[in-house]
Amino acid sequence: MRFDFYDKKRLGIYIHIPFCKSKCAYCDFNSALPKNSEIMKNYVSTLISHMESYKDAARDYITDTVFIGGGTPTALPIEELLRLIKAVKKVFGITKGAEFTVEANPATVDYNALKKMKTLGVNRLSFGMQSADNNELKALSRVHTRQDFVNSYRTARKAGFDNINVDVMFGIPYQTYDSLMRTLNFLTKLSPEHISLYSLKIEPGTPFFANRRDVKEVCADEDTEFAMYTSAIEFLAGRGYPQYEISNFSKPGFRCAHNMKYWNCDEYLGFGVSAHSYFNGNRFAFTPDIQKYMAAFEEDYDGGSITSELEAIESRERMGEYIMLRFRLTDGLNTMKFAEMFGISFENLYGSKLTRYLKNGFMVRNNGAYVLTPAGMLVSNYILSDILEFEDLGAYVGNF
Amino acid sequence: MTEANDRQKHIRNFSIIAHIDHGKSTLADRILEFSDCVEKRDMEEQLLDNMDLERERGITIKARAVRIDYKSPDGEDYILNLIDTPGHVDFNYEVSRSLNACEGALLVVDATQGVEAQTLANAYLAVDANLEIVPVINKIDLPSADIERVRAEVEDVIGIPADGCPAVSAKTGLNIQSVLEAVIKDVPPPSGDSEAPLKCLIFDSVYNSYLGVVVYIRVVDGTLRAGDKIKLMHSGAEFETVEVGVLDPFGLRPTGELSAGEVGYVTASIKSIGDTQVGDTVTHADMPADEALPGFKQVQSMVYAGIYPADGSKYNETKDALEKLRLNDAAFTFEPETSIALGFGFRCGFLGLLHMEIIEERLEREFNLDLITTAPSVIYKITKKNGETVMIDNPTNYPSPDEIEDAFEPVVSASLITPAEYVGGIMDLCQDRRGTFIDMKYIDTERVELHYKLPLNEIIYDFFDALKSRSKGYASLDYELEGYEKSDLVKMDFLLNGEVVDALTFIVHSEKAYPRARKIAEKLKENIPRQLFEIPIQAAIGSKVIARETVKALRKDVLAKCYGGDITRKKKLLEKQKEGKKKMRQLGSVQISPEAFMAVLKLGDE
Repeated sequence: MRFDFYDKKRLGIYIHIPFCKSKCAYCDFNSALPKNSEIMKNYVSTLISHMESYKDAARDYITDTVFIGGGTPTALPIEELLRLIKAVKKVFGITKGAEFTVEANPATVDYNALKKMKTLGVNRLSFGMQSADNNELKALSRVHTRQDFVNSYRTARKAGFDNINVDVMFGIPYQTYDSLMRTLNFLTKLSPEHISLYSLKIEPGTPFFANRRDVKEVCADEDTEFAMYTSAIEFLAGRGYPQYEISNFSKPGFRCAHNMKYWNCDEYLGFGVSAHSYFNGNRFAFTPDIQKYMAAFEEDYDGGSITSELEAIESRERMGEYIMLRFRLTDGLNTMKFAEMFGISFENLYGSKLTRYLKNGFMVRNNGAYVLTPAGMLVSNYILSDILEFEDLGAYVGNF
Repeated sequence: MTEANDRQKHIRNFSIIAHIDHGKSTLADRILEFSDCVEKRDMEEQLLDNMDLERERGITIKARAVRIDYKSPDGEDYILNLIDTPGHVDFNYEVSRSLNACEGALLVVDATQGVEAQTLANAYLAVDANLEIVPVINKIDLPSADIERVRAEVEDVIGIPADGCPAVSAKTGLNIQSVLEAVIKDVPPPSGDSEAPLKCLIFDSVYNSYLGVVVYIRVVDGTLRAGDKIKLMHSGAEFETVEVGVLDPFGLRPTGELSAGEVGYVTASIKSIGDTQVGDTVTHADMPADEALPGFKQVQSMVYAGIYPADGSKYNETKDALEKLRLNDAAFTFEPETSIALGFGFRCGFLGLLHMEIIEERLEREFNLDLITTAPSVIYKITKKNGETVMIDNPTNYPSPDEIEDAFEPVVSASLITPAEYVGGIMDLCQDRRGTFIDMKYIDTERVELHYKLPLNEIIYDFFDALKSRSKGYASLDYELEGYEKSDLVKMDFLLNGEVVDALTFIVHSEKAYPRARKIAEKLKENIPRQLFEIPIQAAIGSKVIARETVKALRKDVLAKCYGGDITRKKKLLEKQKEGKKKMRQLGSVQISPEAFMAVLKLGDE
């Protein structure tokens, strides 16, 4: 008899696919238009070698979530995507009932491909719809239309996917309060299990950034965004999607288990360019340079480490992270749990600051936990940067 | 006597005066080079300006002197003492003392620019000091040089003969010897009696950590020897001289004695530069001269501002730095003050705005300090109803209106020289700054000299920038303090979230109060970071609010996805925000960035 299953630590696996069919005007993620399918094939082979190199390190873990994101994973030729899925399962021995998500863009999936993925164990899809308004989609330079999304969504249902997330953005060009509400109304009628709602951030290096003045001109002002966000929370709750995290809403029982690992400070390994990991007490990331990443697994490679950041998380730091991440969740920060984890009272540390936020309606106390209200979540950067002290933040332990 | 006269016959003491950027320092370099006392390869550009800052800004802050040994083609050996002068209106008194140590002055005029405001102001100072003025037309290598026009201008405007004066290029070294020959021919040798009771003019002093204060002097009468007991006639302080010598290009060279007509230095274990004020007279303690040399003035600060460390914990470092600067700058004063908004800091007195900028910059650059400087203020004179008279250098201390009988503000007489096409704009500016028009003269067909009487507080308030922008940088300004005039002044406070921010308080003429209040309120709005609540900004005179703005509450910051578990990126973002918050000053519930305090200093052209 073996009982070690229960002793094993749990692990999430993230895999980054840096390819897209076209680049969106607001996107600063590591993604590129692949020159040919050969590159994609080689990239998948690299990912597999890379995962295999961690097989021993992950021996004491069981993997209960997998998330293949990007970029657009479904931009890979289907046989490559399937090869990758099989390899993950083989290397890390996924548990029964594990959550296995693949991100997909509308108009990049077909029934047969989805069916094959489903058969291999992928049980959750995440669609980047962003908006149900074709003009807004065009302004984001998305390649799909509202109808493309509906078609893809229905195809996924037909292929047997019963756990689907849909991403929606607010604060995007030409969007109004009413048009956001129409998008949400439209979406909830389709009844996906999970909805992500996040705001446009204009990042340096993107076409939006280059034209930021013009872009901002056609985006909603801050007061409207405030109304959009708070109304959306109410609207979604009313349609059976209570908020559970700053940007995430789900039907009961459908929280994203993989993303919850990030917010619970659980361990995960990320593979691929720019992928981040929190493993064995260290946070680290791999190089964003795809050429370098792929070369590193060839014979006679001597181009140095592909780990671009490495930070050992000491307890003081972990506490800061924990606070930062717990306040993203509507469960908030439980003071008993906090005291248990860090041996120190949360209220003693931050009491005076908390009082102010409680008084001004940015925070509430709920079942022994401090929880940000929707108004508080909207200004959470402000509040967190006020509360937190990352004593040794940025003190990387060298460039490995 | 004959021996002394023969010695004096071979000495020439002279200064170089010029408008800023007309090439004074470059000419000084060429003269040093030409006279072979400095090997060219050893030569640092502009040897006389030995502070980095001076070199960078191309101006001379403190006077320096150097002795040059020169063999003339006439076969005689000469000693030329070149006394450099600061080239800015803030340092007029120091310039006048340096000039008094000389018999002649080279008036450098840019062949492309002609006579400018400071050319005139300096020429008048030299005339006042009875100096022989030798015009030197510089930059003749430039294509737009017009030697004959400038020559005529010097004769017409300044009224000194310029026919046959040296025309040179200090940059290329062209015709430099003609300058030296003109000095020998036109500048009279010094006179003065080596046997008479000692009188030396102090024209500068520098603190040296080994020697104490090194006092730069011109011996007018008598002979000073090492070991002599000396007395400073104005301060009354007495010292025993340690070393007496001359000023070689590379440093001090002890000679044991200096006598009438000579220029050099003396050290006497003097601890504080405050004891050796520029313009004071050095005499022998046991056989003093009957009377001191004329022209001594107590150096007086004209402009005051609060200087605070941006990081409150750097108070002591700031204090040390200020003390070090004061060691070498008797014109700079400071004393501790506290502000509700800014905490512990210093009230500092300056000769003028440039002087203030120089001190600020040196503090930041040489001492690596991050500072907040409050808006500069002049000294107001208030007569109170109870008969008392007070001088106010800090707007916060301005008495309440019901205590004031009369208020007076300093006024200056200003001379502005500008190309004719900008006259209209500059007259508007002066009018707008409460100026009183005195007169207007055409220097030539293209350039005009304007005279205005202006309140000093209008000049320290962004006047230079406004003048520059209205004349594309061509207008020049010179001014001197004329006295105090009665004025209708009000104290303006700024309130954030209902609380007065003392560091933002300033004094303004009642007519200017409204527009300035509005403008500053707008600036504050731009510079106060949004917080989770609305922040009203009010400008008030007494209890009457005259301008209002609101910093809207922050309602949303970014809600980006935490992609692929990139926690570090999020942490960095928060850390950056936290860093920004650390620099904020907390005033009640409102946080104010250092930029907000600086915003009221520069408003641009109104």
